Amino acid sequence: MDNILSLMEGFATALQPQYLIFGFIGVLVGTAVGVLPGIGPAMTVALLLPLTYTLDPTAALITFAGIYYGGMYGGSTTSILLNTPGESASIVTALEGNKMAKLGRGAAALATAALGSFVAGTIATLGLTMLAPIIAAWAVNLAPADYVALMVVAFITVGALLGSSVWRGLTSLGIGLFLGLVGTEILSGQQRYTFGLLPLADGIDVVLVAVGLFAVGETLYVASRMRHGRIALVPVTRGWRSWMTKDDWRRSWKPWLRGTAIGFPIGTIPAGGADVATFLSYASEKKLSKHKDQFGRGAIEGVAGPESANNAAAAGVLVPLLTLGLPTTATAAIILSAFQSYGIQPGPQLFTNQPALVWALIASLYIGNVMLLILNLPLVGIWVKLLQIPRPYLYAGILTFAVLGAYAVNFAVADIVILLFVGVLGYFLRRFGYPIAPLVIGLILGPMAEAQLRRALQLSQGDLSALFLSPFAAVCYIALILIIALGLWLRRRQSRLERTLAAAAAADTSLSAAVNQAWDAGERPTDVKTSDIRVQAPAEEPPTEKGSRRRGGR
Amino acid sequence: MGAAGTGPARPSAGGEPAEASAPRSKLGEYIFAGLALALGIFVFVGAFAIRLPTSGTQVGPRVFPFMVGTILVISAAMVIVDIARGKLGDLEQGEDVDTQAKTDWITLAKIVAFVAAFIALLEIIGWPFAAALLFGGVAWSLGAKRWWVALLIGLALGFVVYIVFGGLLGLSLPPGPLLTWLDPLLQSLRG
Repeated sequence: MDNILSLMEGFATALQPQYLIFGFIGVLVGTAVGVLPGIGPAMTVALLLPLTYTLDPTAALITFAGIYYGGMYGGSTTSILLNTPGESASIVTALEGNKMAKLGRGAAALATAALGSFVAGTIATLGLTMLAPIIAAWAVNLAPADYVALMVVAFITVGALLGSSVWRGLTSLGIGLFLGLVGTEILSGQQRYTFGLLPLADGIDVVLVAVGLFAVGETLYVASRMRHGRIALVPVTRGWRSWMTKDDWRRSWKPWLRGTAIGFPIGTIPAGGADVATFLSYASEKKLSKHKDQFGRGAIEGVAGPESANNAAAAGVLVPLLTLGLPTTATAAIILSAFQSYGIQPGPQLFTNQPALVWALIASLYIGNVMLLILNLPLVGIWVKLLQIPRPYLYAGILTFAVLGAYAVNFAVADIVILLFVGVLGYFLRRFGYPIAPLVIGLILGPMAEAQLRRALQLSQGDLSALFLSPFAAVCYIALILIIALGLWLRRRQSRLERTLAAAAAADTSLSAAVNQAWDAGERPTDVKTSDIRVQAPAEEPPTEKGSRRRGGR
Repeated sequence: MGAAGTGPARPSAGGEPAEASAPRSKLGEYIFAGLALALGIFVFVGAFAIRLPTSGTQVGPRVFPFMVGTILVISAAMVIVDIARGKLGDLEQGEDVDTQAKTDWITLAKIVAFVAAFIALLEIIGWPFAAALLFGGVAWSLGAKRWWVALLIGLALGFVVYIVFGGLLGLSLPPGPLLTWLDPLLQSLRG
C-alpha cells in the first residue's frame, strides 16, 4: 500500500494553492486550444516549453499535464458544434455528435462527451496509479538492448500506423530522426550535419520544430485552402441542468465504461494512438446497441463510447511515458523534452529518484479531471464564443505567438529563420499527406535511441545479434509484427467505416439543413426525446454512394 | 446566436476526398518525395565524413546516421513507387480547411513575406511594432475586412506581450528605438 501513501503525499503537494493555480491554468489553456481549430495541445506545450526556465519542475509539469488533458476535452466540443469535418481522431464523434446537435440535442451530446471524458479520465488515471509503479519496478532490470527494442517498436508503429500510408509515415519519421542528428555529437564532440553553421551546432531545438510544424505549418496550410464564409455553428438550446434525460443516462453509462476499457490498454501500447481506440469503441457500440438504426443519425452511444475511449487512451499514453520514457504521441514526446530540460529522464528510475514530483503529477491529473468537468459542463457557452473568433485574427494570433515562442528560446533572430523553414516543411508535409507526429517523435526519441544503441553494442562488443537475443527484446519484435498486422487491418476497416458514415452524412445533409432553416432550434419537430426519434425518423433510402451524390451535392 | 445552424448544404469534404477534388498534379508529390530521397542519400553519404574516434572502434558516431539514411532512402523510394501507381497522399483535413479548394499560392506568399519582414525588422523597430505588422499583415492576407483594426489589435497584443514578458517574466524583448524608455520602467516594476 506504499502507492496509496505516495499518492496521498502527491495530493498534499498538488493541492497547495500555487500548484492548484498552475493546474487550473493548464486545463483552462488546454480546453481553449482543444476547442480552437488550428492549434492543439502538442503545439501549446511546445510554445510554453520556455516556461521551464522560470518555473519549478512540479509547476511546469502540472501545467503541461493539464494542457494535455484539457485538449482532449475541448476537441469534442468543436466536433459536436462546428459544422465542418474535423481531424480523423474525432471523426466518429463529429458524425454522431454533430447529427445530435442538428436534431437539437447538442446539449446532450456535449454532456455525455464531458461526463464520459471525466469517467474515463478518472478510471484511466486510477489505472495509471496502479500500473505505473509495477511496470517501473519491473523495467529497472531492462538492458540497453531491451530499450533499443522498445524504441524500435515505438518508431515503427507510430511511423507505420499514423497517417494515410505506411511509407509516408516512415519518411516523416526519417526526417525527424535526421533533424535529431543535426548538432554536436556527445561522445566525440564533433559536429554532424551542421554545414558549419553556428546556430545549428547545438542541434535544432525541439521548440522550433514543434512550433514550426504545428503552428506555422498549420497556419500556412489553412491559409492555402481556407474555408471562407460564415462559421457555421450549431446552436445549443436548453440550460445545462436539463442536458441529459434519464434515457440518455441509461444509454450512456455502459459506453463510457466500455470506451474506457478499450481506450486505456490501447493507449499504453504504441499502436497508433487514440485514433484506433475511438474507432474500436464506435464499432463495438454499434454492434451492441439496441438502437442500431440511429447510428449515423445521432446515436448518443456513438458519442459516449468514442469520447471515453479517446480520453482513456490519452491517460494510457502516460504509462509508457512515465515508466519507460517512451512517448507514443507528439504531445507526450514534447512533455518528455520538458522533463529533459530539467535534467530529469522519465523511465523506471523516475519513481525512485523523483517520487515527490511524479506523484504530485499523478495527483494533479485527478484534480484536473474534476476541474475539466466543471469547465466543460456549465461553462460550455464560453467555449462556444471562442469558436466564433474570426479566422484571420485567430491564425494571425497563432503565428504571432509562434514567432514569440521561437525567439524566446535563445533570443536569436536566427531561430525564427529556422522556424520559418520548418513551417514551410510542415506545410508540404500536410499538403502531401505525410503525418506530423512521427517526425516529432523521431526528433525527440532519436538521440535517446542512438545512445541506447551504442551502449547496447558496446556491451556486446559490436555483436549485432545481442540486439535481438535478449528474451524481452525478442518478445518486443514479435509483438511489433503483430501490432503492425493488426493495426493495418484495423485501419482498413476504419477507413471503410468512415467512408460509409460520411456517405450517410452527406445523404441527409439536405434534409437536416431544410429542418434547420424552417424552424429555430428547440422548436423543430425533430427536437424530441430520444425514445421518440426512432418512431419519427423518416424512412430513408440506404446510404449509397449514388444517393449521396444526388442529394448532397446540390 | 439565434441563427439557424447549417446554412446551405456543403458538399461533405470528409466524404469523398480524392475523387471529388480537382485532379491534383503528381509533380509536387514527386518533387517532395524526391527531396526526401535525396536527403536520405545525403545523410548516408555524409556519414562517411564523420570522423571516427581513434580508440574504441566498435560503435562510432556513424552507425546511427547510416540507419537513418537507410530508412529515408527506402521509405522515400517506396513513396515514389506509390505515387507512380497512382496512390496519392490524402490531404490533411481540418475544421477550417476546404479540401476541395485550389491552393492559394498568393496568400501563402504574402504570409511568408510578412514573417520574413518580421525577421528583418524585429531588432530594428522593436517587438511591439514588428508584432503589430506581423499580426496585421497576416490577418489582412487571410481576408480580415478592416486592415487597420487588425493592425491595432496586433499593436495591442505586441505591447501586452512586451510588458508581460519584460515586467513579469524578466525576459526582455527588443524594444526598438522608440521604446527604450520603457525598459527602466519595467525593471522598476519588477523591483
